[in-house]
Parts: sequence; C-alpha cells; structure tokens
Amino acid sequence: MLLGLIVIIPMFFGFLGFFLPSFGYFPVIGQNNFGLSYFYSSFELPGISKSIILSIFTGFFSTILALFFSQVIILNIFQTKIYKYIRIIISPLLALPHITMAVGLIFLFSPSGLFFRLISPWLTGFDRPPNFFIVPDDYGIFLILGLLLKETPFFLLLSLSALEQLPANQLFNVGKSLQHHSFSTWCLLIFPLIYKKLRLVVFIVIAFAASVVDMSLLLAPSTPSTLAIRIFQIYQTSDLDSIFVASNLALIQLFIILVLILFWIILEKIIKKNFFYIFLIRVLSRKKTRFIDSFFIVAMVLFLLSTIGILCSIFWSIGENWYFPKFLPDTFDFSNITNFLYKNQSLVLMSIYISFLVSSLSIILIIIWVELAEILNIKYFYFEWIIFIPLFIPQISFLVGLQSFIVMLNFQDFLIPLILVELLYVLPYCFIILTPALREIKKEFIKVGLSLGKNRIERLWQIKIPLIFSTLLTSFGIGMIVSLSLYTPVYFIGAGRITTLTVEALNLALSGSRQDLGLATFFQVIIPISILLIIAYLNKKITKWRY
Amino acid sequence: MSVIKINKLFCLFVTVSTIFTFPSISIAGKYNWNNIVKEASGQTVYFHAWGGAENINTYINWAAETVKKTYNINVKHVKISDTSNVVSRILAEKNAKNNKNGAVDLVWINGENFSSMKRNNLLLKENWVIELPNSKFLDFKNNPSLLNDFGIPTDGMEMPWGVSQLNFYYDSKYINMPPKSALSLKKYILNNRGRFTFPQPPDFVGTSFLKQILIELIADKSILKREYIKSEHEKMLNPLWNWLDAVTPHLWRNGKNYPSNYLSLTELVADREIDIGMAFNIAHASNAISEGKLTNTVKSYIHNGGTLANVHFLSIPYNSSSIASAKVFINFLISPEAQLKKQNKDFWGDPSVLSSKKLMPEWKNKFLNLPRGVATLSNEELDLKLEEPHPSWVKVIEDKWIKKYGSNN
Repeated sequence: MLLGLIVIIPMFFGFLGFFLPSFGYFPVIGQNNFGLSYFYSSFELPGISKSIILSIFTGFFSTILALFFSQVIILNIFQTKIYKYIRIIISPLLALPHITMAVGLIFLFSPSGLFFRLISPWLTGFDRPPNFFIVPDDYGIFLILGLLLKETPFFLLLSLSALEQLPANQLFNVGKSLQHHSFSTWCLLIFPLIYKKLRLVVFIVIAFAASVVDMSLLLAPSTPSTLAIRIFQIYQTSDLDSIFVASNLALIQLFIILVLILFWIILEKIIKKNFFYIFLIRVLSRKKTRFIDSFFIVAMVLFLLSTIGILCSIFWSIGENWYFPKFLPDTFDFSNITNFLYKNQSLVLMSIYISFLVSSLSIILIIIWVELAEILNIKYFYFEWIIFIPLFIPQISFLVGLQSFIVMLNFQDFLIPLILVELLYVLPYCFIILTPALREIKKEFIKVGLSLGKNRIERLWQIKIPLIFSTLLTSFGIGMIVSLSLYTPVYFIGAGRITTLTVEALNLALSGSRQDLGLATFFQVIIPISILLIIAYLNKKITKWRY
Repeated sequence: MSVIKINKLFCLFVTVSTIFTFPSISIAGKYNWNNIVKEASGQTVYFHAWGGAENINTYINWAAETVKKTYNINVKHVKISDTSNVVSRILAEKNAKNNKNGAVDLVWINGENFSSMKRNNLLLKENWVIELPNSKFLDFKNNPSLLNDFGIPTDGMEMPWGVSQLNFYYDSKYINMPPKSALSLKKYILNNRGRFTFPQPPDFVGTSFLKQILIELIADKSILKREYIKSEHEKMLNPLWNWLDAVTPHLWRNGKNYPSNYLSLTELVADREIDIGMAFNIAHASNAISEGKLTNTVKSYIHNGGTLANVHFLSIPYNSSSIASAKVFINFLISPEAQLKKQNKDFWGDPSVLSSKKLMPEWKNKFLNLPRGVATLSNEELDLKLEEPHPSWVKVIEDKWIKKYGSNN
C-alpha cells in the first residue's frame, strides 16, 4: 500500500495532467473548453501519420527481433562452455545507457564514420564522405537496430533467469530423442515456458521502444520524426496552445502502445492455435539448421557492432585532428579526459549523487514494504503489480502531464520532484531483484533470532540483511545504473536546473562536437561498469569474510 | 543594396527616450543603484541561456564566478536547448497565477521570442535598462538597432548583450570562389549535389538562413518590415518556395535529413561532408580553427548584398524572484571588462555592444588591440547588414517549411 501510494499518486496526476488538457480542459491555466478540438489539431499536424506509423513500426519490430535474437543466442550457447560466462559478457552491455549505443552506431555508420573510413579511399575512391542517407535513415531502420542492440541482452538475461527455474537440460534431451533438432526443440518445448515468464517484460519493452525519446533524437529520421519526438518538440514551442496539442499527442501515444500490446496478444493467440502449432512442428522439424546458424552469426555481428561502436566513442574522446578519410586520429591526447572531468565535475557528481539517493530510497522502501506486509499479513500480490505501472505508460506522456502540475504547484526545489519521479522507474527493477530474496529467507534463521530475543528491527538488521546482502548490493547497483541512464525524466523535471551526464551527452550529440560527445560517452561507459565492478568486488569480499 | 537605414520612427523613439528618461534617472539612479546592489547580495539568479556551445558556457561560467566574488551573487546557468521553451514556461506560470516566484530570473533572448513575451506581458517593464550604470557605455542615440529587436521597440525591457551577423565559411583549399548570393548558391547546390545544407528549421540559424534567402529574392524588401497578413503577403513568399523546391532534392542527404543546429555544421565542413557552413557568431570559424575543429585554410564570407544582422539581448521576466541580482549581473555583463572578454575570439568572439566613443581611452585601446582571428571578416567587410523582417514572418516561414519539406518524405 505504501509503495502503491508512492507510485499511484504521481501516476494519477501525471495521467490527469495530459488526459484533461488533451480535451482542452485545464482550468489552472485558464482553459476549460472541454471538447475534441485538439484531436483535430493533432491530426492536422503535417506528417503526423508518418510519425505514428514510424513509432508503431520501430516499437514492434525492435521488440520482436530482440526477442528472436535473444533466443537464437541462448539456443546456440546452451550446453556449451560459454553458457556459464554469458552473464558476465552481457552485463556491461546491459549497464550502458541507451544513448551510448546510439552514439556508437553514429560513430560507426555515418558517412564520415569508421566504416567508410575503413574502406576509403582505397576501395571506394571516396576522398570525402559520400552523400549517403544513412544514420539516421528514412525508415527508422537504425532506430530499430539501436533498440535491438540494447534490448537483446535484456531479454537474454531474463531468459537465462527463467531457464534456471526449468528442467531445461531434460527438456532439451527429450526433444532431441524425438528426432527434433535443437531449434525446433527450443521453439516447441522450451521457448513457450520461458515466454510465460517473459510476457510482461515484452509488453514493457514494447511500451518503451514505441515511445523512446533519447535514442530517437539521434537515430530516427527528422522529416518527420517519431511521435515521441513530435511531442517533445511541440511541447517546446512558445505558445500556450502547444501544451494542449502535446498533451493530446501524449494521449495518442498511450493509445498506440495499447494497440500494439493488443496486437501482440492477438498474435500470441494465433500462435497458440493448434493448426499453427502443427504447422510449426512440420516446418521446424525439417533439418534447416544452417538457416538458424546464419542468424546466430548475425547476432554475433550485432554484438560485435555494439562493442566496436562504444570503443569508437572512446577513440573520439582522445583523438585529435581526425578528419575523413583517416582511419585513426593523428594524435592522441589523454588530457582531454581530465579536462572534461574538471569542467564537468559537478555534472558527474550530480549524476552519481541522484542515482545514489534514488537507489537507496528504493531499497529502503522495498524493505519497509516487505516487513510491513509481513507484519500486517497483507496479501501483497494484490498490490504489487501497481509498482510496474510506470513502465507501461510511455515516459513522454506521463512527464508532459506531470510537468503541467509541477509548473502549477510552483516548486522551488527541483531535486525532490526529480528523485520522486526517478523512483518510479528505478523501484520496479530493484523490486524484482530484492523482494524474492527477502521473502525466501529460511524461517529457521528467523526462529533462531526470535529465540535469542531479538525484536523485529534487530532481526532485520542483524539477520535478514546480512543474509541477503549480496542480492541487496546487486539490486542497489542496478538501481543506480537505471537512474543514470534516464533521460526524459531529467529533461522534463530537472527543467535545465538539474542536469545529468545523459542529458548533457545528448546535447553534445546534437551540437556535433564529436570529441565532447566521445568524452561524455566515455564517462557513461566508465561509471556503470565501475559500479558493477565495485559490487562484484564487495560481494566477493563480503562472502569470503562471512563463510 | 539594402543597408540598414535609420528609420524615422526609431529616430523619434530615441529622441523621446533621451529627453524624458536619461536626465531623471542619472540623479535618482545612483542612489537607487547602491540599494539594488545591496539587495542583490546573497540572491541566486537562474539565467536561462542556450547551452549548446562549450565556449559560451565557459564564458558564462567565468562571468558567474566573477559576480560571485564581487557582488556575492550566485548565478546558475540553466542550459536550455530552445528559448521558446522558456516563453511557454513563463506563460504557464502566469496563467497559474505564479506572479512572484517564477523559475526564470534572466533570459538570453531576441526576435520572435522577445516579441511573444512582450505581447503576453511577460517581461519586467519599468524601463530598467537605463537604470544600470554601465548602460552609459552604449550609444542608444546613434544606434537604433540597440533599441529595436527585429523591428519591435524594446521599450527598456531588454539590454543589448552582443551583435550577430549571419556569415558563411568554406575551406579555401578546395573552393576558390564561394557563391555569394542566393542565385549563385542555387547554381552551386545544383552543381554540387549533397554538399550544402542548413540547420533544420525551426532552429534559429536555419530559419535565419531561409529569411536571408527570402530577403535576397523578394521584389519589395520593405514589405518585410510590416506585420505579416496572410491575404496580402502569402504570395510574396513564393520566390523562397521556388528556390527551395529547386534546391532541396540536391541538398545534403537529399534534403531528407538536416543537422540539428549550426554547431553540427562545423564537423561536417571539417570532414568535407559539406562545402559551406554558416553561423551567426562572426568569429565562429576562427574559434573552431583555434580549437582544432577546422583547418586554418577555412575562410569566412558574406553575401554580396549583405546578410542578416541582429542584436541579442538580456531580459528579466516579470515574475523573477531575484530582480535586483539579475540587474546587477546584467550590469556586469555589459561592463567593458566583460564585453572585452566576450569579444576575444579565444573565449567567445561575440562583438561588443559598447560604443568606442563612450569608453575611456585605456579600454578603447584594449578593444582595438584584440586579435581578430584568422577567419573573421573585418568590420568593413561586414558593413552590409540586412535588417531582420518583422517577427510575425518567422512563424509563417517555419510552419510552411515544416509542412513542405520537413514532414512529407
């Protein structure tokens, strides 16, 4: 309930804040003509239908492809030696903000990027960058690619966790003994079981991908852009009417996501039908493994791309005089890094500070909630789904709505609202990791505590927390990483008064200073990976000391 | 050639303001000013200013540190990406009846945004501009552009901060003669497919480029001084649309994608993705050369008929919560010290608004001795300045451009 209120109150105002204005009703700023006129204004915006189609297209295809590739990768490494290490391999990729992936793609594939430098001028004859229309392209392909690079590891990680709870090895062997090759075994026996656990996450990813702002600003076409960017731009124009049009578009954005999810559910239903299943078995049981292997190669190439793209950003941060078609910079200057840090120390510190506060607060709230639920004997599963609502509502819609209220309430402090809003996005991730561990502590330990005359707080502090300390640390670290990667909440709620590295990196990306952008990206890579390393180190140290 | 002519109306305005305001303020002003400085101490100014350029941010940071030391004022630079966002915020605050504690204390502004704020009564009135002691270094009398923002009288609600003029740059190693008019530019674009572009309107520089082309092509330039009336003026824009119709498919990335602002043109020129860059800061190319972002063979130029010139201003919203400290900070920003540093190409390179005639000889010399920068045009070369059209044209041009070229690929 407590957690529910923390989530529900802002969500309620955020929803109201774009729902009412989208019908022209917003009495605080002197408008109360309830009606449909803003729907007309929205649909009269030039190119709006293309924006909507673009959002649907990129949201759907990035999700389905990421899901597909995550399964192709697991299937190919399942029962091999790499399987053990895959978590370690993908965790840095997971920790990076979306925007670093977008920056990497730009550094690689723009006409003056690394790829064309590699083959110019000896192969292409280009002594200057070609006039090619790629990154961003006109169809959102690169946006899909960028999202794909980021969501595939996410699905991969969650599938791994799901697999651990399944008798996967047995199932796999049963399939093989029935003369199915590994791909059809996977599709018919294992994937349905994994999917059951992934289903809600798939919806979250759809909602995110179809409304993403930061990645779209860099990778989506600009004439016109996706719906999320249109909302973003219209919100920034100077007349008051724009708030209403932006709110209306925010409602349309929410509607689009609902339609996409509905469409996905219909697809699920079709696939579940018997005739389709039989069809699948027939098609898949033919031995066409080479076909699937080629997808694995594609997946590996994608993985390689994201790594090279990020390395490339680091090169840009220290390279000087690096004009086309030189493959490498003339000179390297490492002092750029210290200069950037010196100039932006408050920015870096602020980013870490906010994420630290938000993540700590999440952990504390979760522990209080779990304890309270236990004391009061609440049937928690009736409430806990509420925590995940923020992930299903498009960030841009929610924030446009909330912003209207914040202007009205005239907060003089920007940090507290920002932390409360970030909490909505960080809490669910900490919750998923921490709560099961808290609830699965063996009752025997608690009984020992009771018999030693420890009260509830002492039991929590001296028994429970030490027992789950490593999970708690992981949860805390993930919380910080999620907070560090947030763009839209900081942009809207921070209102320029509070900025973080992610917001600054995007400004730099749009201002075209590749060196500064490389530097910002460098820190966006270093900070989350350091957090992961610190957690791994602490975990190791503490476990050693305990047992 | 349409060089700025001193409009009769401006003259009248200047005379009126000189007669009525100057003497009265100079006596009462001194006393008031000490009080203002006292009141300002300890206050915090939220300065909303475009934060896209590193050198400008560094300059603002220096100014903030200096006033902290001298006046104990905390200036917080709120880096915004688009000033129109500030206008809509204050408008929303006004409608929510937040008339005292607005989030914005000081804003860097001009043109359409100023006109919109003035129209909606969002600016501090009371003619505070002349109240500031350092305003004595500005020659309002002989320079009407300091009192008019895109043709709209500033009425003491804006302090001039710097001077801009649209200018272009190219690498002289590869190009002998850059195209110096709208018509020759069109020819150039058609012959060099994919090698020219401009920032995507409604970006400030992008829209200004469109206005520049319009001014060069329109038959009767005086029409642009008047407020846009659809029934009368819609056809007047046709030369611009015809020019763009011919040129757009031959632009960089076939006119389907545009850079987001003028800074991103710099690296496109450096990599030779495009041939010509543009900026409003006359020292932009020199700046980029000294930062190593452009090679030193890059040169600047303006069109033969002149280019758009304007003044950019500082203004205080009516609901600012620290009016006194905003004034003290503005007064510092127009001091000879701050303006000298601003004009230095190694910091920002933005020309001073101060009149050399009104400066003490030592400061005058300091300004004269500033290095000009290898790629910066001389004052004589920049002499041909075009006046900004009435702000009402901006929205029309932007909306139509978005409709025609920015949304139907």
